[in-house]
Amino acid sequence: MDKDKERRKRLASLPFSEKLKILAKLRDRDRAIAASGLRKKKVRQAVG
Amino acid sequence: MKATLEMINGMVNDGIISGYAIGGAVGATFYLEPLATADVDIFVMLSTAPESSLISLAPIYDYLRTRGCQVEGERVVVGDWPVQFLPAHSALEQEALAQAVETEVEGVRTRVLSAEHLVAIALKTGRAKDYARIVQFFDQDAVDAHKLNRILRRHELADKWEKFARKYREG
Repeated sequence: MDKDKERRKRLASLPFSEKLKILAKLRDRDRAIAASGLRKKKVRQAVG
Repeated sequence: MKATLEMINGMVNDGIISGYAIGGAVGATFYLEPLATADVDIFVMLSTAPESSLISLAPIYDYLRTRGCQVEGERVVVGDWPVQFLPAHSALEQEALAQAVETEVEGVRTRVLSAEHLVAIALKTGRAKDYARIVQFFDQDAVDAHKLNRILRRHELADKWEKFARKYREG
């Protein structure tokens, strides 16, 4: 738990511009997952 | 994000909006670790005539459309980010805009809502993800509690805060 808090603190201390680059990567990854249909399959599997 | 902010700064220079500040998850990322989000929330002060009681985002959409931006529902894709423009309707949002923090992104000047105003707006909005974000602000000691209390009292959010604190922060 402390290790996770430390990691989050380190990420929070990055310059804003750097953090925004990470945000863009997270967004692109999310878009790729959405486009692949993996998320829908996972939801259908969980429901069905 | 650089291209996005340059375009929005252009709207200020061209008189389409009189001011703006970044809010939402991107605004929170200024103070916290990067928080995944699909879009950017931009609080805007519109340059409407004082006698006009109607607030319309049409001038923003028109400005951006003529510069090649795509409108997707409530969002406009500016640069490589979908942006949601939120007019500062309430006294809380107007104060948040007035007290926003100046910063730079890749050499482009911009403004971000203060941590305390982000928390107050999240409390007022009141969705599960907003409450989760408030907890993150406190987990990372990113809020001045005295400043937040003054904002909450000023905007009649103290009762809501007490309920939130009982459920999420003391439980």
